[in-house]
Amino acid sequence: MSSPSYTELLDLDSDSLTTCVACGLCLPHCPTFRLTGDERMSPRGRIALMLALQTGEAACDDEWYNSMETCMQCRGCEAACPAGVPFGELISGARAAISDARPLPLHLRIGLWALTRPRLLLTGSRLVALLQRLRMLPRVTFLPRRLPLSGSSLPRRTEGDVILFTGCVMDVWQPEVHDACESVIEVTGSTVLRSGPRTGCCGALHEHAGLHDSARELAEHVIATLQGDQQVLVDSAGCGAALKAYGDLLGTPEAKVFSERVLDVHEWLAERSDALPLADVSGRPGVIVQDPCHLRHVQDAHGAVRQVLGHCSEVVELNDDGLCCGAGGSYSLLQPVMATAARDRKVELIRDVSARSGANIVVSANPGCSMHLATAGIEVLHPIQVLAGMLASPGEVVGGSPAGPAGGADGR
Amino acid sequence: MVHEVPTGTDELVADLVAAIGPDRVLVGGGARHLYGRDSSIIDGGHSGPVCFPDSTEQVADCIRAAVAHGRDFVPRGAGTGLSGGAVPCNDPVVIATTRMNQIHEVDVERRIAWVGPGVVNLDLTRHLAGTGLHFAPDPSSQQASTIGGNTANNSGGPHCLAYGVTSAHVAAVEVVLSDASTVVLGEEVGDAVGYDLRGAFVGGEGTLGIATRIAVRLTPDPPVVMTLLLDFKSIVDAAEAVTGIIAAGIVPAALEIMDQKVVQAVEKFVSAGYPLDAGAVLIVELDGLPAGVAREVEIVKRVGADNGVGTVRVAADNAERELIWKGRKNAFGAIAHIAPRYYLHDTVVPRTRLAEVIEKVNAAAERHDLIVMNVFHAGDGNLHPLLMFDPREPGTLERVHAAGEEIVRIAIEAGGVLSGEHGIGLEKRRFMSLLFSPDDLAAQRALRDAFDPLGRANPLKVFPTGASCGDVVGLTEIPEGVWV
Repeated sequence: MSSPSYTELLDLDSDSLTTCVACGLCLPHCPTFRLTGDERMSPRGRIALMLALQTGEAACDDEWYNSMETCMQCRGCEAACPAGVPFGELISGARAAISDARPLPLHLRIGLWALTRPRLLLTGSRLVALLQRLRMLPRVTFLPRRLPLSGSSLPRRTEGDVILFTGCVMDVWQPEVHDACESVIEVTGSTVLRSGPRTGCCGALHEHAGLHDSARELAEHVIATLQGDQQVLVDSAGCGAALKAYGDLLGTPEAKVFSERVLDVHEWLAERSDALPLADVSGRPGVIVQDPCHLRHVQDAHGAVRQVLGHCSEVVELNDDGLCCGAGGSYSLLQPVMATAARDRKVELIRDVSARSGANIVVSANPGCSMHLATAGIEVLHPIQVLAGMLASPGEVVGGSPAGPAGGADGR
Repeated sequence: MVHEVPTGTDELVADLVAAIGPDRVLVGGGARHLYGRDSSIIDGGHSGPVCFPDSTEQVADCIRAAVAHGRDFVPRGAGTGLSGGAVPCNDPVVIATTRMNQIHEVDVERRIAWVGPGVVNLDLTRHLAGTGLHFAPDPSSQQASTIGGNTANNSGGPHCLAYGVTSAHVAAVEVVLSDASTVVLGEEVGDAVGYDLRGAFVGGEGTLGIATRIAVRLTPDPPVVMTLLLDFKSIVDAAEAVTGIIAAGIVPAALEIMDQKVVQAVEKFVSAGYPLDAGAVLIVELDGLPAGVAREVEIVKRVGADNGVGTVRVAADNAERELIWKGRKNAFGAIAHIAPRYYLHDTVVPRTRLAEVIEKVNAAAERHDLIVMNVFHAGDGNLHPLLMFDPREPGTLERVHAAGEEIVRIAIEAGGVLSGEHGIGLEKRRFMSLLFSPDDLAAQRALRDAFDPLGRANPLKVFPTGASCGDVVGLTEIPEGVWV
């Protein structure tokens, strides 16, 4: 073997790698294997290639990199693995190891940097929104077609019973989701303190892209700005999973304590569902639930979503074991072909289920998923928006617009 | 050791690419490394180019190219096989059927579906939701394994006790033979006229040709299903209960036993509330009309009590039922908590001798200082003793193989057979002569030669042979035919 640096490049826990007995039960849960039928695009294949690189049996070539870089990091395999292989840890380690050798494209690095600068993000987003309205910008697939002009408000309170983590891009692009969460939380009798731009970005996308150092810096900043003992509620699955993992990421007692304060907003509401008024579900259109991977596979909180949504509508399942839609953080920018194929598969399923069930509202508790699906013409709401709408006007159906899954744009 | 790519590979690859396109032929070292093995413990296979055809014609093109360049070909589905049937020897063209995953046609009235070989077993049943039908063979790998692979191995599964193994559910199959010609074996309706070549093909482990379209029979969903979980002090008590249930005149849909070590491992994964202190658990599934099932539940409880059952848990709903099965179906993967590798046997013994054979198997493992775990289709007498080991410990492999051989001999001496459902592959071929006389084997080989006179279809599998597979011959201290 020619290169001496394999073992230096990759230093993964060999016990974790050899825990994989190659049984293959992960295969159907892997979106890239589902699309290609290619072992290199499967969890057990990726594990075998990591091991082979560490033992010198495989070369560190484009084929190897491609296998690692095409992983959506949805961690569907991890939830399905009977042997408990910590795949998320392994792929994260592999991605971090190759981040020097395979730097991210410039536009993504700029984008990830911008997430850490809330004011810049807000100003830039408003500029883009204005240009979109003046039709002076070409359509780019990764941006919502119509960014909001307003963006999020500053924290309304200086104190609250619970903290609502508002993040970076979501605070700017989907402030209405935070508004909906705040209103529903208040119905249960608790007050909400928004984390706001001072706390900013959670670093999930940075960690996802292999930028460990940035992720750690952001994690430390988030923890420092959210002192106290209130619970930290999160309405973005990706952010929630990241915040819950700060304990492991930083390894400090402080970070561990912080992570224990974090709950997905659905988990928190499910415990208080008695405080929510129960709507008459009959006659309302069902709601199709698209589970974000980091809610279902990582946080195991998809049951809470159903419990909460059940208050205002019939829940319609996609029955695909929560297979990833292809959004995957910045994945849709880095691997557009695979991301689009995964998205199209999901969209086809949504349209099919919608046609069979008559349900025309789709919900997903993660901004990445909803923006990704929106690029194919699927309008996606946050589950809490549906609930908030019902609480605001019990007689009306929220979100059942003709631009729902069955109609509307063709995705171009 | 660096394995040299055989000469003529460039020309072979050029022909394959011309036939099915450049993005459908993998030649990289990474791909060939991964396609060198399946879910079995056999390492060291050597894959040539890996092809992903998407039609019968493309499969024929791949076979034609392989044979023209003097190469063998090896079909592969999901690669979840446990006996090395998909492990490539001597740089063959690997033909992966994963892209032939279309459900071509479902005829609900006639209860037949034509599917591609790459359709995942459970996907077909999911596709049938709402029709009141399902595909009955349910190997534990059913969420991942393909119907083509199930056909090649004549796979079983818990519910084959009542419904029969895969062969009972394959009506017809379109096959590409090693001369690249295409034939259809079997009939959609009724039994084949003349020799049942379909029956010969199912279970052929890819040595007779490659299935490209399969007509499977669909089974009506039972009106009522009840799943019971019984725990016993010992695995012998559980086995006696199985005999008692069958003797009482019931044929349950499934009868599965897991011993304490397996239960403890799977409980970690599923949290289904399995009793961790029981010596063994027995899963009994009963289905049919409501009155009959209710009566059978009472009989099972009575037989359980006769054999010292602890508790009898009856699944209250579908979710609880699925959780109990999730534990059973993930058992092989879950036991990785105990040791990094396992050697799994698949012997079948007469049901009435189950208890006695299990005691002997456990004693054999103990003699060789190995942990053995038992999870098996008790109703069929199909044992799955798993010998747990860490290949990094010196001397372990020898003990594993010695114990494995004893286990096979114990089963055969008790009137049993080598394999219930996992196939022979590379792994068990050396044991074939324990079970079959030279005449028997010659007759089987004549059948193989009739399908594949060129000897190019997945050679070195099933039959005992002096030839070994690739450079694994270096492990000479290990009995010929098995590599770990």
